[in-house]
Amino acid sequence: MTTTTVQKKICMIGDFSVGKTCLVARFVRQSFSEKYLTTVGVKIDTKPVNLVDGRQVKLILWDIAGSDALSTTTTSYLRGSAGYLLVVDGTRRPTWDSALNLQKAVSTQIGNKPFILLLNKADLTDQWEIKQTMVDEQTQKGWNLLLTSAKTGMGVEEAFSLLSTKMLDAGT
Amino acid sequence: MNTIPLHIAKYIRSTWMADTIISYLQIDKQGNLASWGGHPRHYGLPNLIMGQPATEQLCFLEGLLSVPHSQKLEFVNLGGDRYAHVHIIPSSDNTWILLLDATREHNQKQQMQQQVNELTLLTYRQSQLLQELETARRSLEEEKQKLEELIESKSRLITSILKETEVPPACMVSYTQLINKVEQAEVRTTDYLTSVKDNTNSLLAMIDNVLDETTLEMGQVALYTSSCDIKQLLDNLVSVFLPVARTKGLLFQVDIKDTVPTRLLLDELRFRQVLINLITNALKFTQKGFVLITFNWQWQTSILEFVIADSGPGISKETQNKIFGSSATDEHTSSIYPNSKLGLSISRHFAKLMGGELSVESSPQMGSIFSGFIQASASYTLSTKTGQDSSATLNTTILIVVDSPDVRILMGIYLEDGGYTVITADNGIEATHLALQHQPELILMDMQMSGLTGYEVVKQLRFQHFRQPIIALSASSLPQDHQYALEVGCNHCLTKPISPETLLETVKQFLK
Repeated sequence: MTTTTVQKKICMIGDFSVGKTCLVARFVRQSFSEKYLTTVGVKIDTKPVNLVDGRQVKLILWDIAGSDALSTTTTSYLRGSAGYLLVVDGTRRPTWDSALNLQKAVSTQIGNKPFILLLNKADLTDQWEIKQTMVDEQTQKGWNLLLTSAKTGMGVEEAFSLLSTKMLDAGT
Repeated sequence: MNTIPLHIAKYIRSTWMADTIISYLQIDKQGNLASWGGHPRHYGLPNLIMGQPATEQLCFLEGLLSVPHSQKLEFVNLGGDRYAHVHIIPSSDNTWILLLDATREHNQKQQMQQQVNELTLLTYRQSQLLQELETARRSLEEEKQKLEELIESKSRLITSILKETEVPPACMVSYTQLINKVEQAEVRTTDYLTSVKDNTNSLLAMIDNVLDETTLEMGQVALYTSSCDIKQLLDNLVSVFLPVARTKGLLFQVDIKDTVPTRLLLDELRFRQVLINLITNALKFTQKGFVLITFNWQWQTSILEFVIADSGPGISKETQNKIFGSSATDEHTSSIYPNSKLGLSISRHFAKLMGGELSVESSPQMGSIFSGFIQASASYTLSTKTGQDSSATLNTTILIVVDSPDVRILMGIYLEDGGYTVITADNGIEATHLALQHQPELILMDMQMSGLTGYEVVKQLRFQHFRQPIIALSASSLPQDHQYALEVGCNHCLTKPISPETLLETVKQFLK
């Protein structure tokens, strides 16, 4: 008897240059590059994840080109997504506002799917522009927020594992 | 219009198909890969097995097979460095997936987007930096303002204290002068009193220097240019310094060249202070020999030149470079002769303010020559007599409003000696009452009285239509304080302590 591993499509959403591609590279290939290379279209990667509770899931990662709003092209990539990671560059306040707008737009397109907001570039604390009050406000709404750094690896595994758990629990 | 010939259409189709590197995948109703064709390896899709679930072999199709109509996903990278436009075309029994190469288009678009994004990031970082700079600038500005306020507050406090300190010695000088006038005064008493007067004058000069230095630090020095009888000014200085020179056995000579006009336009108070500082130093440090003072006027340039030469101990080159510095810059010289050094620093400041300069030539044991110049145009205003016309002043009543009894009595004596009728008040309420009741021809008003201040009294009197001149007496020499006195209704402002000559001259001027 063959067991089929559950596959879940997740999208990386966020403004340009927030570190979506780097997060995927860190998660899938354990690599990081300082060089910024903008994504046009979408890059698809896969990675199996073993959760602490023994469950397994194969993540199909759609690393979508960054933008402060959803375009028709971007919307077409979202179809079939079981969840998404909303990525913010903690050193650029406007990317926080973009993320909040994107979350509303994505929710309108694919419904109420699990997501986690990632405050990326957490290694650059001296340039940090996100205030605790902003974080608290979203936390109070029930959002999951994690500090991540693709450069150091901080919070990356946790982010994908947490989203996987949420997706499996939600049955999306 | 003719249709494209078939062989041309075929050629175009074959060329286009070669460029787009078409691949197709056929997915059946059960979601299994039914067939495929073209070049799936080109897009990173090797080892496709027909009959097996499509989404297991082609992960990117997860969630995409149930499309109700054709869909296009642009610039999809399935692995490797190739990009495809993915078309999902549902049909009755199958779903067709077309992959058309878009790598070249992607790379062109990516290059452009990269530049746009990098420029946007750069602009954002620049705006952040500018914001940080602006924040830092504001912070520094606030710090600077706080410091300036602190300095000004400190200077005001010092000025206020010193001004208060000046009143008692000024009164002492005035009273000793009055006692000297008493015919019965004994010679020895007169000598003692003269000594008291000279020492008190020295104390006053020191306080004046500290006050001027404070005012210079605050950048609030204003020149008050008026027609000055230069010869009378020098006569007055000679009468002050000649006895000192004689006591020390020095030759003291003032040479005023014929070119010097009788009257010149200058700030008499400041110029007098420059000369006092220079002559005081010359007499202080010269133990034998001479102190010679020369004045010359250049009519072509309206420059008044002055030279104070002495046969004192001289000044080394090193010290010459320091003696005009402010008191805080050289601890050595300022600790030995603090007032002399302060005086020289202030004198040079004043000379510069008056459009001139002050310098020194000297060698140790060879004496010193302090020479300087100021801008001073000739004044052809007729000189006014200082003496009072008693007939004109007999029926003139002046109200003196000063809370210090010593100063009030002293001013009363001067004015009564000048032939005026004097009434006095020591507070604002009494002053208002007396002014409105007696309607004096002039009021001398102390602006810093306790209780009702002079400013409030003047405002009240002007409101009650009191129209006679009011002269403000202020402890402050700051221009803004004088300006405020004028704004509330005073006609003029005098800075305390006030010499009898200045008092009588000002009163006379406003009673014309």
